[in-house]
Amino acid sequence: MTGLAGLSTPITMGIFLGGLYVLIALGLSLVFGVMKLINVAHGDWVIVGSYFAYTAMTMLGIDPFLSLVMGIPLLFGIGFAVQRFLLNRAFAVSLDAALLVCFGISIIFQNFCQIIWTPFSRGLKPPYALESFSIGAVHVPLVYLLDFIAALVVMLFLREFLRRTYLGKAITAASQDRRAAQLMGINTGRVYAFAFAIAMAVAAIAGVLLGLTFPFTPTSGVSFLILAFGVVIIGGLGSMMGTFIGGVILGLAQTLGGYFLGAAAQMLVAYILVFVVLAVRPQGIFGR
Amino acid sequence: MRVTIPRLGGRLIPFVAGIAVLAVLPVVGVPKQGLLYLFLFFIYLALANMWNLLAGYSGLICLSTAAFVGLAGYTVAIGTWVGLPFYLGIIAGGAVATLFALLISIPVFRLRGIYFAIGTLVLPEVLKYVFLVWRPVGGLMVGRGAGYAVKGVAGVVLGEWYWAALAIGIASIFLMRIILRSKLGLGLAAIRDNDNTAACCGINVFQIKLYSFLIAAFVTGIAGAVFYSYSGYIEPIGAFTIRWLLTALLATVIGGEGIEEGPIIGAGIVVLLQFLLARYTGISLIIQGVILVSIMLAAPQGIMGFIRKIRTYRSPVTVSR
Repeated sequence: MTGLAGLSTPITMGIFLGGLYVLIALGLSLVFGVMKLINVAHGDWVIVGSYFAYTAMTMLGIDPFLSLVMGIPLLFGIGFAVQRFLLNRAFAVSLDAALLVCFGISIIFQNFCQIIWTPFSRGLKPPYALESFSIGAVHVPLVYLLDFIAALVVMLFLREFLRRTYLGKAITAASQDRRAAQLMGINTGRVYAFAFAIAMAVAAIAGVLLGLTFPFTPTSGVSFLILAFGVVIIGGLGSMMGTFIGGVILGLAQTLGGYFLGAAAQMLVAYILVFVVLAVRPQGIFGR
Repeated sequence: MRVTIPRLGGRLIPFVAGIAVLAVLPVVGVPKQGLLYLFLFFIYLALANMWNLLAGYSGLICLSTAAFVGLAGYTVAIGTWVGLPFYLGIIAGGAVATLFALLISIPVFRLRGIYFAIGTLVLPEVLKYVFLVWRPVGGLMVGRGAGYAVKGVAGVVLGEWYWAALAIGIASIFLMRIILRSKLGLGLAAIRDNDNTAACCGINVFQIKLYSFLIAAFVTGIAGAVFYSYSGYIEPIGAFTIRWLLTALLATVIGGEGIEEGPIIGAGIVVLLQFLLARYTGISLIIQGVILVSIMLAAPQGIMGFIRKIRTYRSPVTVSR
């Protein structure tokens, strides 16, 4: 298998893998869009989601997707509390203060995971995690397809939520102009807390799929934060379509980099891509 | 709050006396444990001072401290493998960190504020992956990543490393003092207050920020090089760990960001914390994280900022100013 036929597998895998990166980046993008804050702890939240599903699977024997019934409300609650009691106060000081608070939270969660689940590498391995399917010459693991489908579903759900519900409209309004939204009777502090909590709920979903796709350790949050940031940077902040395309580009960069340069270099290729985009077009390929 | 900057030579005599006392400590037989913590204190002091220069005075939230530390450490270690003595390697380490800073300033200086922060956060991770897959000298890769022992440092005792750390720590204090009273410092103050106005007044904003970025990279690199020459071994995951950043940031924030004396107090408290929590490494980091969050929320000005505020309220002179 050479040439195009050999390339079709990494290309398909890259596009599907992009779905996972989109999922991780959606929460980051939502928080940025609404609060203009880059949540440095986002990667660690995703990892907490992975560990929660891992615990549910090993201790109680629950399927990772089923465990989301508990995982989403849990992270939603923590996210709401963090925004309400910590970040809202930090915003009153300055945006930099909020960034440093997020950094502190990231350190706390990283080490919390390290103490509870030890630094060893873990993975979610339900029976279907090892299955793969083939279309013609293309062989793709099933979980990669699940990544892609989940990304589409969550994106559609978020879009409809932001467009159709009162809370969604309030979040959009607060992100466009906080003062004006406040004058229209929107409790922006509460809206911020909800937006943050929703981002965390999405992080829980991303955590489950991350655990199915890759092995994870308590410190791998940083690398996924950087990938998510790359997705957001490539796609341009605030545009959901851009986020999707950014995810697919990064996924492709990783699998094609792995195909041409070997598995060890695949993360490096993705990082360098992020940096090149930063250098050439900091507002993102699709940003205005 | 109005802040008066004392003159360059102000309060110099007690300062020099303090240095003299610190310098004779290894000779008079202070226990090894004590010297080690003082060694760490001076390394952290240099890191924190440079972080303060960037975040407190230049408005650059730079999260790539570990990149400079790790690169300089690798320069020393690899230098000793190709025949460069370690004391030259330490200077070379600073130079390589500066060169790296110059190189990456092209992309990251296009970013502003919070984008700059994340852009610099990527750097240590990239370097970590580079050194995980690339071993420049010394044969094949063994295990995970390129680990190097620093050669030719076996005969050097702790006391001499202590002096090296003392030198870099004190030098960083003097450097801050000189920078803040020079044209560069005035430019930085103008930029921090309002960068558009500063640019209109003929200050080259890009150049001034670049200078402070390069200076910070150099001193951070030297401090990292001294640390890794002392510790004698370097590997990618430890060298580019986020803990370097956490230490520098914590020391600055506890002491007071944008205040000259801040990092001195802060670095002291961080070392004290490490001493007290030495037996509980995992919990130690959690506690440091909690302290960072609570300081940011309760007293964002840090300890020195708090003291200054009280002094400003109490002193009658402020009224007449």
